[in-house]
Amino acid sequence: MNNANLENYAKEIAAKFSNKIAKVSQNNDELHLNVKLDDMPKICDYIYKNLNARLATIICSDERKNAAGFVIRYVFEKGDVFIFVIVSTGQGFSFPSIVSHIPAATLYEREIKDMFGLIPVGNPDVRPLVLHEHWPDGIFPLRKEFELETKAKRQDKEYPFLRVQGEGICEIPVGPVHAGIIEPGHFRFSVLGENIVNLETRLFYTHKGIEKLAESMRLDEALLLSERISGDESVANSSAFCQAIEKIARVEIPRRAKKIRTVFGELERIYNHVGTLAGMSTDTSFPFGAARLNILKERLMRLNESLSGSRILFGVNRIGGVRCDITDENKKLILETLSEISDDFGKVTLLLKSKSSFMDRLRGTGAIPKKIAYDLGTVGIVARCVGIDIDARRDHPYGSYYLHNHKTPQELIQHQIEMEKRTGDALARFEIRVDEVQDSFEIIRESLDLENDSLLTSVPEHLEPFRSSLGWAESHRGQTLHWVMIGENNSIFRYKIRTASFCNWPVVGQAVLNDIVPDFPLVNKSLDLSYSGNDL
Amino acid sequence: MIKASRKGIVGNGIETIKNLANPLSSKNYRGSVIFAVEPTNDQRKTLEDICPTKALFSIKENNAMGLDNGKCITCGYCSEAASKTIEISNKPAIPVNVKSQMIGYSGPQTLSSEKSYEQIGNALKEKIQKMFGRSLAIRQVDAGSCNGCEIEIAALNNPIYDIERFGIHFVASPRHADVLLVTGPASRNMEIALLRTYEATPGPKIVIAVGACACSGGIFGDTYATTGGIDKVVPVDVYIPGCPPRPEILLQGLLLAVNKMKLE
Repeated sequence: MNNANLENYAKEIAAKFSNKIAKVSQNNDELHLNVKLDDMPKICDYIYKNLNARLATIICSDERKNAAGFVIRYVFEKGDVFIFVIVSTGQGFSFPSIVSHIPAATLYEREIKDMFGLIPVGNPDVRPLVLHEHWPDGIFPLRKEFELETKAKRQDKEYPFLRVQGEGICEIPVGPVHAGIIEPGHFRFSVLGENIVNLETRLFYTHKGIEKLAESMRLDEALLLSERISGDESVANSSAFCQAIEKIARVEIPRRAKKIRTVFGELERIYNHVGTLAGMSTDTSFPFGAARLNILKERLMRLNESLSGSRILFGVNRIGGVRCDITDENKKLILETLSEISDDFGKVTLLLKSKSSFMDRLRGTGAIPKKIAYDLGTVGIVARCVGIDIDARRDHPYGSYYLHNHKTPQELIQHQIEMEKRTGDALARFEIRVDEVQDSFEIIRESLDLENDSLLTSVPEHLEPFRSSLGWAESHRGQTLHWVMIGENNSIFRYKIRTASFCNWPVVGQAVLNDIVPDFPLVNKSLDLSYSGNDL
Repeated sequence: MIKASRKGIVGNGIETIKNLANPLSSKNYRGSVIFAVEPTNDQRKTLEDICPTKALFSIKENNAMGLDNGKCITCGYCSEAASKTIEISNKPAIPVNVKSQMIGYSGPQTLSSEKSYEQIGNALKEKIQKMFGRSLAIRQVDAGSCNGCEIEIAALNNPIYDIERFGIHFVASPRHADVLLVTGPASRNMEIALLRTYEATPGPKIVIAVGACACSGGIFGDTYATTGGIDKVVPVDVYIPGCPPRPEILLQGLLLAVNKMKLE
C-alpha cells in the first residue's frame, strides 16, 4: 500500500531519532517503530506534541514465550495513519509512565498495571482500576500463565477515594446500583451545598474478562463476543473485529457486504441517538418529548428485527462479509419506515427546540472546556461537541463510507465554522445528535443501491500466526478500536478492545464541575457512555 | 400551544393497541431452536462443537440431543451448520420456574402458547389487583450485562408497551421493591452489591434472572471475572431465557413470578 502521509511521518520521525529507532515497518495504515524502553517517552512526546497526533490506545501483550518479554504498543492517530511505538519490557516488570506529557495515558497505564502486573514508573495514580479492592494481590489476568477459570479468594480492603476536606464539604456516594434502568457504576460527589466540588467515578463493576475470554475462543465465537461488548454498539464493535481479522487475512469484502455493513451501522446509530435524545428529554422533566422519541425508537427496533432477526442487531456481521442480506423487499421496507420516521423525528425535534424550558435546561449545562477534552483524548460526540473534528467514518473510511465523503469546498468551510461555534455543553451534544440522525438517514438512502456481488468472501482457513492488525468503526458513541493478534492454529493471541466509552468516561468528572448535583443525570445522559463497553 | 401538542399526540395515533393486537414477533425473528428431525451421531458431534455456549449437548444413553435454552444466545450457528436438522423458529423461549425446565430435547416439541402482550398484561393486572390491591414494584439490577437486556427492560416503559397500565412500576430503591429483575452473568465486582441489594429488599421477594447471561453465564460463561449465573449469588425464582428476551417475554416472566408469590 502506498500511503504518502505514512512515509512522510516515518521520515520526519527518523530524521529526529535516527539512531534510536531499531526498526521501521508498515502494516496497511500502521507505521511501526520499534524503540528502546528508555527512549520511548521522548519519542511519544515528540509524536504527540510536534506531529500533533492523538493517543489512540496503549496495547500491552504478554509475549514472553517469544522471548520478547511484555510488549507495549503506544498507538497514535494522525490523519489516516496509526503510528505504533513498540517497546519491550525485557526481563523487567516496569515501564516509564508518559502521563506527565500525555494525560490521556493514565487509565491505560493503570489498566496495564492491573491486568499484567507491570508498574508504570512515574504515574502518580496507581490505585487499582479493573480489579477492585477485594481481589487479592498478585493476580494478573492477562498474563499467559493465568488460567481463565481461576476463582480468586476475596480479601477485605478499602478503596482510597480522593477526599475533599474543608468546612461544609460533604460526600454523596451513589451506586453501583442506581435508581433507574441503567448499568452499574459508583459516583462519589464531594459537594459544598449543592455545588459539585469534585466527582470521582469508580467503574469496572461489569468487568467480565472479555479480553481474556477471547483468547480461549474460536474466531467466529469471538465475533459473537464482540457483539456483546456493549449490546447497543453490536454492529460497530463486530465490524471493527471483522475488519481486524480481514486485514490479517489480507482479504477485501465484497462491495455489497460493505454497503450492508454501512446501512446497519447507521441504523444502529439512529436508534441509539433517538434513545439518548429521549433520555435527555426525560432528564429535563419533559416526558412528552421522551414519549414521542421512544415510540420512534421502538419502531426502529422493529425495523431492526425484520431486517436482521434481532431487535438490537445481533448477528449482522461475519468475518469476510455479512450474514443478513437486504432484499429488494427489505429495501422498500427500510425506505418506507425511514421516511415516516424522519418526518416524525423532524416534528419532534422542532417541538423540543421550540420549548424554552427544555432549551434553557440544556444551555450551559455540563460544559466541557476544549483543552480538557483534548488532553483526555476524547472521541466521538464528546470530542465533536467542543469542536475537535474527528470521525472515524471520514478519517479512516471503512465499509462504504468513502462514498459519502463528498463535500464541496463551501460545505467544508461551513463545517469548519460549525465546529468553531460548538460550546461543549449539553445543548451542543443535543444538536449534534439531531444532525447526525439526519445525516444517517441520508447515508442509508444513498447506500441502498446495492451491487449484485456476493455477501461473503472466502477467508483463508489458516491465518498466519502472530500477524496483527487494528480494526475500527465509529459507533454512536465514537471511535471504537480493536487490535487482534492471531496465535497458533487460528487462535486469538491477544484481543485488545478500546471503545469510545473508555476514552470519554474521564470527562464526566470535569463536565459537572460548574453544575449542581441535580444536573448530573442530564450531563451523564447527554454524554451517553456505556459502562459495559468500558469495563469489558 | 395546547392545541399543537394535542395534534402531536393524536397525530401519532394510538400506538399501544394498534401494534400489539397481533401476537409476538416478525417472521425473521431469531427465536428458540427447534429440532426438525432427530440429529444423527455425526451431526450431534458437529453441533456440540459449533455451539459457542454449549447449549446443545448430546445424550449418550438414548442417542438424543438436548438444548438448554438458558444457555442459548440464539446466534443461529447450529442451524447454519445443519439446516435440515435444526430450525430457528420465530417464537422466543419461554420463562420457567425451575432451571431444568429450560432444557428441551430432540423429538416432539411443545411450543409456547401464543398470547399477545395485551392478554399477558391483563392477566397480570388482574393477579396484581387481587394480591396487592395496588401495584407491583420492580427494582432492576445490572450485575454485569452487556446492556442489551437493559434496552428491552427500558422498552417496557415506552408508550407502546407501557407497563405501568398493568400496575407494574420500576422503583428507585430495593427497599420499595417486590421483585428484583437481575441481568448479567453476575460479575465478581458486582457480587457483593447484588447480595446487598437482595438483603435490602423486604420479603416476600421474588428474584428474576433475565437473559442467557443471568440464567447460566451465557457467552461470558463462568470465568475469573464472572460467577456464571445469578443463582450462584442469590436464590432465583424465575428464569427468563433469551439474548436479549423480548418485552412480551419479560412480561410473561413477571406473570410467572406473581403466580409463584404467596403472602407469607
